[in-house]
Order: sequence, then structure tokens, then C-alpha cells
Amino acid sequence: MSEAQNLDNKNQLDTATEAGISRLTPEKIKKVVDCVIKRETGVRFETYMQTCIHCGLCSEACHFYLSHDNDPHYSPAGKIKQTIWELIKRKGNVDRDFIRRAVRIAHTECNLCKRCALYCPFGIDIAYMMLVMRRILHKLAVTPLYIQDTAHSHSVTMNQMWVKGDEWVDTVQWQEEEAQDEIYNLRIPLEKHGSEIMYSVIAPEPKFQAQLIYQAAIIMNTAGIDWTMPAGVGWDNSDMAMYTGDNEIMGRVKRAHFEAASRLKVKKIVMGECGHAYRSVADMGNRWLGWSMPPVPVVHAIEFYYDLLKSGKIKIAKKYEKPVTLHDPCNVVRGAGLHEKARYVANQLCDKVVEMIPNREHNYCCGAGGGVINCGPAFKLSRTEGNSVKAEQLFNAKSRGAMTLIAPCHNCHSGLHDIVHHYEVGLELKFFSDIIYECMEKPEDK
Amino acid sequence: MKKSIILIVMLLSVAALLAGAALCQDDLEYLDNEAFEDPRRPAVPFSHDTHNQTAELDDCAQCHHVYDEDGQKIEDESSEDQACADCHGLDDDEQKPGLMKAYHLNCKTCHISSRKGPVACGQCHPK
Amino acid sequence: MNVIYQFVAGPLAWAAFILFLSGIFLRMIQLFVKVNQPEKFLLHYFSLRYGLRSIIRWLTPFATTNWRKHPVFTVVTFIFHGCLLITPVFLSGHVVLIDEAWSLSWWTLPDGLADLMTLIVIGSCVFFGIRRIVRPEVRFVTDASDFILLVIVAAPFITGFLAYNQWFGATWMTIAHMLSGQILLAAIPFTRLNHIILFFFSRAYMGSEFGKVRHARDW
Repeated sequence: MSEAQNLDNKNQLDTATEAGISRLTPEKIKKVVDCVIKRETGVRFETYMQTCIHCGLCSEACHFYLSHDNDPHYSPAGKIKQTIWELIKRKGNVDRDFIRRAVRIAHTECNLCKRCALYCPFGIDIAYMMLVMRRILHKLAVTPLYIQDTAHSHSVTMNQMWVKGDEWVDTVQWQEEEAQDEIYNLRIPLEKHGSEIMYSVIAPEPKFQAQLIYQAAIIMNTAGIDWTMPAGVGWDNSDMAMYTGDNEIMGRVKRAHFEAASRLKVKKIVMGECGHAYRSVADMGNRWLGWSMPPVPVVHAIEFYYDLLKSGKIKIAKKYEKPVTLHDPCNVVRGAGLHEKARYVANQLCDKVVEMIPNREHNYCCGAGGGVINCGPAFKLSRTEGNSVKAEQLFNAKSRGAMTLIAPCHNCHSGLHDIVHHYEVGLELKFFSDIIYECMEKPEDK
Repeated sequence: MKKSIILIVMLLSVAALLAGAALCQDDLEYLDNEAFEDPRRPAVPFSHDTHNQTAELDDCAQCHHVYDEDGQKIEDESSEDQACADCHGLDDDEQKPGLMKAYHLNCKTCHISSRKGPVACGQCHPK
Repeated sequence: MNVIYQFVAGPLAWAAFILFLSGIFLRMIQLFVKVNQPEKFLLHYFSLRYGLRSIIRWLTPFATTNWRKHPVFTVVTFIFHGCLLITPVFLSGHVVLIDEAWSLSWWTLPDGLADLMTLIVIGSCVFFGIRRIVRPEVRFVTDASDFILLVIVAAPFITGFLAYNQWFGATWMTIAHMLSGQILLAAIPFTRLNHIILFFFSRAYMGSEFGKVRHARDW
């Protein structure tokens, strides 16, 4: 029965992706599979294929598995079995139905959160295997519509949200004006060469969360930071092409970002509270471009706030009173080890921090990252229902007093927003910057 | 069931061998393993005369060999008046293999080259 | 009989050991050659310190979250792997043969203990087999090859146990024991049994990535 249900909801993708699938021929599929496996994978892929002893110990790492009553179709190895293993076993001779299922699994049932990497005794990087699958799907032109559109936007505008050049500058200047109501001499310096810091954001901020730019400006000005933002391309650090397997566009986008920093001759890049952008800048994009580590030092917002608080550059006037709980985003915790700094920041800002269980490296994924939320509304329900375990974890934190949920990552923020509403958890969502803005000492003079 | 049959067969053959020993005094029934302090395997059943008749062995020195100080086998001497353990200690020394290894090599080398006789562990050391 | 014994104990044994060692050797060569081809950067992230940290952590029972989550499995798998590696190397029968051939010998297990360890290996294989059938998440990722591998691993221990205890004919069982042992040895480099060796590489790489680049724990 569960099998029938599974097939049932795996039958339809969005119409554009279905159109892509209808254009596939067995020859094309085989050609692409052979090409990617032969030319783009190497010893790592082979070792992972040969080492996996099929023990199933990765299962409990996955929130999809846990949220579907331990249905093995959703375990990490189970998902690899239905995609990569089968593809290799059949030497690429698979049909459209197989590809349709692979799209659903690789794009909407795995967040690439790498929690399973902590559970596999062999340290097999299952997220990497899934990215290989996505790369194949990308080359077959069957990436889900919404995230493909985002990749197109990256390609055309070098930002994620089709923000045009003048719109970006307009938005920044609008926020500057707004913030001058609060701090009369506040500036958002654009194109200021030789600044210490280039601050970069993700395109959704100018598109529909402009207040975050406002808050960042207040924080920067109060702390007396020598900072700038690029007026041209490179201001957006986000990267959905990384998640569609479109490595070429990922490379172009990252190059534009790094080049903006070197054009402005800054010492380092500070980025907003975004997880996947950090993964793109400091893990995947830089490697694609040939830098083992980013060519310009990259500082994530958590680390930046940590430094500001630790050095006393910003002071907290009155701590945030409501008890908070802290979500550890995969890309900056399993990806960058910022969990202890995040706790320092949380404790500096708030009266009471209630730990989620599990936490730190073992925190459950928000269910939105890895490009899953970017696949669009068609998959929203499967995304929220596929993460009931997160809701349970949040309810548990709430039962121990938490009223506010801090998610220092855009994707996590949106994903948790959906979960909080779907399951009626009743937690208020905040970024760190929201709370810093609310609680910090601001300059007196107006 | 199977085990008990094996046990009965073993008991019967031991009895038969003992009877044979009573009839024929110089026929060794088991190789003497008293030199081993705490033998880990059962003693090896061995009927000296039957073995030699079957194997058509006339030269005593084939097994009861004598080696000179340079490690050369002395062709026309034999050592049947001595126990193996008189020369071979429990452990190897510079010239001679230890007692167990001497037995193993002495028996198995011949069994392998002649393609007859026991070679696997359980064939000589029946439980 | 002696001809067969000789063939199995002689040329076949050599063939098995040569396949085993050269297979592993070739795998390693392949690994190092290939790592230099499209994914040279992997070496760049390699860190001895964090690689070892990860290996030691995962080779310690109950030292990782996932080991603690599956206490029964953890106990079985550690004892199984321990017995699997220790028993054949320190078995008195094996050491005696090596001593006869090359005058090399070392400490050996008491026979009773070796017998018990053999039974543990066999029992663990049965446990793994049952687990593959009973646990849905394991059954789903299991295929025929997994059971074949279990049989390949268990066979030398079953035949060895029977040969030592001399049930069902010691002679033929000894030959079957040698044959199944040779199949196991030869299979290691060419099947997923090579996780024995690859474990150290995949583990060290993940450990290096987490320790050196990600500054996070991988357990």
C-alpha cells in the first residue's frame, strides 16, 4: 500500500519538467549518463560505490526517512539505490519514468544537508552522490522549473532574482535613506575602493526583504565598520546553479562575486545570514574555480556578529527577553563549524537560550535547503510533510520554554516558516540581525 | 548421532589397536608424545610395522635419520635406538627443527612426495 | 586425495595470496593514479591529523553517535570484525603450517578460544543475514550480492570449525576449508569486501574535510 502511495505522488512533476522528460530518448539518457560518469567523476565516486556495504546505518540521519515513519524509500542509501546505483547497474539504460522519479528524489527529497555523512561508518558523502545525479538531470534538461528559472536568472543577471542593475542600486539607496531617519549620517557606501569589508547579500534581500539591508547598515554604521557594497554585478553571493548541477554557471557567478571583491580591493567578504551562499563561496564554487579555499577571506554573518560582540564594537542595551531556541543551519555548522560562535552570539543577545535536541552538527535540517524550497510551490507540501521530525523537535524546544526561533540562514528561515505554519508550532522566527537591531545600543545623536 | 557413531568406531579401533599391541610387542600404537608438555592435539596413531610394510620402507634411516654437524644427512647411519626427543628439543635450534616441526616435516614431506598417506591436520590427529 | 590436497594447498594457495595481495596493490595504485586525474584537489584537503582522528573515532566502539544509537549492532560488528581478523592470523594450525614452510612463528590462540571466536564469526554472519531480511531499511538496500558476500565470509569459518572438530570427514573438510579461504582472500580486492581497505581512505577523506575545512565533527 505504501508502495502504491509512493508511486502515486511520484507521478507528476511540474509541467515544464514533464515537457523536458517527454523530450528524452533512451539514447540521450545513456549518452549523458556515460558522459558525466566517465568524464566528471573519479576516484571518490568509485570508492563510494565500492565501499558501501549496504548496512542501512545512514537511515536515521535523514529527516525525510524519520518523517515518513521510517519508510526505507527515504533513507539516504535508499535514495541512492533508486537513483545512482540503479543508473550504474543498468549502465544508463533507463526510461523516462526512472528519470521522473530521479528528479523527484534528487531535487525534492534530499536537502544535501550532509547529516548522513555523520552517520555513515565509512564517511561516504551521500550528498555528493546526489549532486552527481542532479548534474546528470541538469544535462538532461529536466531540472524542476522554479529552480531552473533561478539558475537562468543567475546566468543572465548574475543574481538569483532577476534584479536589474538599477533596481539593485535603487534599493540600496532607498534603504540608506530610510535608515538615515534613525542615524542621520548613515551611509551604505557603494563601490568604495580599499574598504576593509565587502558586504554581500543574496538577491531575495533587495527583492523582498529590504529591511535586512537596512538592519545591516545600522549595524555596520554603529560598529564603525569600514565597509562597502558593489554597485555592479557580484553583490549577490547566492547560487542556485550549484544545486541544479549547473557547475558552469556556478563558476561564473562565483567569479563575479570574487572579482567584485578584488575590484574593490577589500580585505575580506562578509556575507549575510545565508547558508547555501556560504557553501557556494567557501566550499563548492571556489573549488570549481580552482581555489582550494576562497581567494578572498569569507566571513559568515554569525562569525562577524561574534567578532563585533566579542570586541565590544556593538553593545547590547537590553537583552532580548523571550526565550529563544537556535537552529543550526547545515551549511555553516556541518559546513563551517560556526555552532559555538552562534551560541555565543545567542547568549550575548538573549536572556535565555533553549537548546533544540538534537543540536549542533546533529541538528535536523530545515527541509528547505539544498535547493529544495527553490523547486517551487508544487513541492511545498511534500517538503513540509517530509519534515514532521523538525516540527517535533521545535515543539519539544517550545515545551521547554522557547518562544522565538533563531534561524541564521535564509533557506532555513523560509523552510522553518513553512513548518511552523503547517504544524502550527507557534514560534516566532528571527534572524540574528533582527535581534541585534532590536537590542543593540544605537548612536544617540540624530 | 553421527558423532556417537564416530565415537564408537574410534573406540572399537582403539580396542583393536590395543589388541594388536598385545600380540606384537614392538609395534608402536601411538607415536610417543610424552615429550610435549601440554599437547594441543591428540597423539598420532601409528603402527610402525604396518606403516613400513604398506609404504615398502626398508631403510630405517629414512625416518630415524642422523645428521652430522654440518647439517648433512649421514647415509649409512640410523638412530632407531634413540627417541626423537633425544635430539629434537621442543623449540627449533640453529641446526634442527623443534620436535613437532620435525615430526610434521618428516611425515608430511614423505607423504606429499610419495602422494600417499595423511597430510591434513585431522588425518593424523583424530579427535 | 593427496594430489588434490597438494594442489589446493600449493598452487591454489599461492594463486589466492597473489590475487589478494596484487589485487590490493593494484587497487591502491589505481586509487593514487586516479586521484591525480580529475580530482587532484582531494589530496589537497587531506590531513593526517584529522584523517586519523576520524578513523580512530569510528574504530572505537560507542565513540560515535551512530554507534551509540545501535548498541546491539555495534557490539556484534566490532566483535565480528575483531574475530574475523584475529582468528585466522593467530590460529595454531595456521601458524604451524607457516612455521613449517618459512620457519616463522608467533603467539597462537588457545584452541578452545579460537573455536569460540570462529563460532562468533559464524553467528555474526547469521545475525547480519537475518538483519538484512528483518530490518526494512536494510532489506531495501540489500541485493543478492550482499548474501553472497556473507556466505563467502562465513564459509572458511564454517569449514574450518568442522575440519578442526572433525565432523563430516576431516580430510575433505580441510580441503573445503582451504578452498573457501582462498575464495575469500581472492574476493576481497574485487568485491565490496574491499571496504576493509577503502574504509581507511573514505574515512580519512571525510575526516580531513570535516576537520580541516569544515571545522566540525564527523561523528
